[in-house]
Amino acid sequence: MADKGKKKRYALVLDSKKCMNCKACVVACKAENGVPVGKFRNWIDEEKRGAYPKLLMTFDPGQCMHCENPSCVRVCPTGASYQRPDGIVLINYSDCIGCRYCMIACPYNARYFREDLGVVDKCTFCVQRVDRGQLPACVETCPSKVRVFGDLDDANGELQALLTTRRYLVKKPETGNGPQLYYLL
Amino acid sequence: MERTLMDRRTFVQVTASGAAAAALASQLGCLKHFEKGRAAVPQPLQIPTTCGMCVNMCSVIAEVEGGVIHKLNPNPKNPKTRGMLCARGNAGLKSVYDPDRLKQPLIRVGKRGEGKWRAASWDEAFDYTSKKLLAIKEKYGPQGVLWSSTEGPQEHFFKNLGLAFGSPNIVRHPSLCLASVNLAYSATFGTVPAFDMLNADYVIMSGANRFESIITPDTMDLIGSVMLRKARLVYLDPRFTVTASKADTWFPIRPGTDMAFILAMLNVIIGEGRYDKDFVSAYTVGIDKLADHVKKYTPDWAEKETEIPAREIVKIAREFADAAPRALYYSGRRSSWYKNDFQMRRAQAILNAIAGNWDREGGMVPNAAIALGEYLFMPWDDPAAERVDQIEKNFPLAAVGDGTYLKLRENVLAGQPYPVKGWMVYKQDPLSGLPDQGKTLSMLQQMDFVAVTDVQMSDTAWYADVVFPEATYLERLDPAVGLAGIWPVVVFWQPVVKPLHDVKPNLEIVQGLAKRLGLNDYFDYTMEDWLKAQVQDLPVDAPMDYMKKNGLFVSKDAPKYGTTLTPDHRFITKTGKIEIYSERLQESGYDPLPVYQPPAAPPPDKFRMILGRRAYFTQANTSNNPWLHEFAPTNHLWINPQPASRLGISTGDQVEVSSTSGTVRLQARVTEEIRPDCVFMLHGFGKHSRWQKLAYDNGACDAQVLETAWDQVSGNAAFHETFVTIRKV
Repeated sequence: MADKGKKKRYALVLDSKKCMNCKACVVACKAENGVPVGKFRNWIDEEKRGAYPKLLMTFDPGQCMHCENPSCVRVCPTGASYQRPDGIVLINYSDCIGCRYCMIACPYNARYFREDLGVVDKCTFCVQRVDRGQLPACVETCPSKVRVFGDLDDANGELQALLTTRRYLVKKPETGNGPQLYYLL
Repeated sequence: MERTLMDRRTFVQVTASGAAAAALASQLGCLKHFEKGRAAVPQPLQIPTTCGMCVNMCSVIAEVEGGVIHKLNPNPKNPKTRGMLCARGNAGLKSVYDPDRLKQPLIRVGKRGEGKWRAASWDEAFDYTSKKLLAIKEKYGPQGVLWSSTEGPQEHFFKNLGLAFGSPNIVRHPSLCLASVNLAYSATFGTVPAFDMLNADYVIMSGANRFESIITPDTMDLIGSVMLRKARLVYLDPRFTVTASKADTWFPIRPGTDMAFILAMLNVIIGEGRYDKDFVSAYTVGIDKLADHVKKYTPDWAEKETEIPAREIVKIAREFADAAPRALYYSGRRSSWYKNDFQMRRAQAILNAIAGNWDREGGMVPNAAIALGEYLFMPWDDPAAERVDQIEKNFPLAAVGDGTYLKLRENVLAGQPYPVKGWMVYKQDPLSGLPDQGKTLSMLQQMDFVAVTDVQMSDTAWYADVVFPEATYLERLDPAVGLAGIWPVVVFWQPVVKPLHDVKPNLEIVQGLAKRLGLNDYFDYTMEDWLKAQVQDLPVDAPMDYMKKNGLFVSKDAPKYGTTLTPDHRFITKTGKIEIYSERLQESGYDPLPVYQPPAAPPPDKFRMILGRRAYFTQANTSNNPWLHEFAPTNHLWINPQPASRLGISTGDQVEVSSTSGTVRLQARVTEEIRPDCVFMLHGFGKHSRWQKLAYDNGACDAQVLETAWDQVSGNAAFHETFVTIRKV
């Protein structure tokens, strides 16, 4: 990850079947990024179906999709929301005026408003960690290793290995946002 | 907006060095990165240590910036816990920065439980406590003081103080937890083995809800195997848990009938000759008696008991035998369920034995351990009095050093065989942990003196006379702990930040009391002395420096299998073999082979109350942690829609839950995820302590409703024997 010069495209591959809804990723994010109690940069949705004793329960981890064509960036009136060349979508908090257009524009409901600072916030792929060669907090801490983070453009990387050998989907592809969270089936 | 941010920066600059700003500074750490004109990425200190949020002891690396813990990360060097840290582990730093934590010694000024305290100096608290203890010793003898504690790296100092004081009455957590499973495996194999979940092909679990109440490394090993279709999981539980949702097969077994399921499996496997005959003849005794014994336990019989179809039992038995030795009936951990729990666990152990999975890859493996040195302290005379729980008489096979909590409480309440009038508590919350809270409170109220050492104001501390504030695990140097297992490791704690308040590590609290109790000579050492003695023989240069740098020591040897599979190996049992049939049990007056006792059925309009844990909380200890609390802001009574509609109960309704022990009120959660004859509530709520703001008077405390019952052999509490009535209020 520290390898400079080469073009990168960071993305996340998730194997939701392995998710136990243990919330380790959510607390790890909260600690790493100072997310206030009651607000979340990442989450785990729970889906339950059936009637006793034929029951089903599935978990679906979610966060910012770090889209190829992020609608949040397009609508930002001040340029506070922006995309790095490596694909990570960020907010420059000093330039954010808290208008929340981006929250409406995001098809994934990935952004929240921080009342205490008057700015919009969301997952950054823990860019501060990634830039010093660490994994995002949610990826590192996961007990069942649901998440794999890496460079999509690395032909020999784990991401390519998973995406070429497993079936996967992305969420709401019809929006044209080009989400970069890949969910293994 | 810009002005607001300037204000914030100024504020942080002014206060960042102060402890008061700790939480705030830590929250803003991430935003600093985005401020304009900042060149370098900040590099926090990385201090390896060990998690103390539960008993798993996962290795962590604390990231510390400016004397404030910013983040706890997993330490991938630990082969047991690898790169994982659960929600609790991640939320651990909040225990340091909890505004409600205990900050100085306290002496009660109001009535017990009234919550009126005055701050005291350590000297005053020590003087006051030792004066009270010596007065009790004078009047009732040293056995008049009870010492109760729960697992932790500094627990033994506390226990040793009790023993040096002369009291035989040490009571620890196992008889509220895993005493029956430990005793059952010891009675069969002479030891409690580890389960090689990573390499198992077929796993059966009774209630051990491994994907919801996380245990490392078993949880991590199994979730990978099951989800990648390497292993099959059969799960029995009256509740539909996360583990049930991931299992290949889930049966909502009739509660208390797991033994019938196991006996029927034995019936099939022996009847069809599918057991490992070579292994059984070489290493076990009693297969013939077992074969006769299980003849009556047919799958058809078990179907009526368990409500699991006979054909499924036959199928599972065959699959289990075919997968052996890579087949496991997983032992579970908290085995405090029923009055015959020991015998149910014995049946599991026997099933594992005849499958021949002993000491094989993917089977049960005797624990390997890394030898640690011992600090040689001055020994004391053994306490002269018999234990107040009369464990040798009541539970001759139980672990004497751990005690049997419920029998002990019964005897203390009766004043038999002698009065117990002082209660010292370390790291434990008996008011939350023991069933039948009213009785625990009566036991507490009949004491002349109660002192509690904890990091937070537990319910028991709330009723105490003196409260000693302990430093949290992130502020202490602790003894090293050797974790036995398939991959043995030695873990180590070091302070990652200075203690935030006027708190002390437990050893110093013990020493402060020992000095005043005339027991100083027994505790005349420092933590460094103790640690050095422990690690000095580890095969590394400068072992103390090594531990400080790495936070753990890992043996380089790969896991070994089959070291006990030699003809001359003696198991630590009476016969030296694996005891399917146990003469020792017979001599002690117990069934030498597990005999099925059907559980009582709930009377009409009553429900069996069952317990379970979620890994958001460790027992009742973490319910005041704001980062964990938000996943379970209160507890609910789970009730199946069928009885709920009969009783006119909808989700969100306030309901009253009553037993002979007590009555509580909480919100109902009408759910398909539980059998119609059971109800469930999460542990850790309905606290009395106002210093646990998030859990105080929030939801219901299960301990108030649970009735007193225990396993006949181990004395382990039986938490699933309570029938309750439910009423909408």
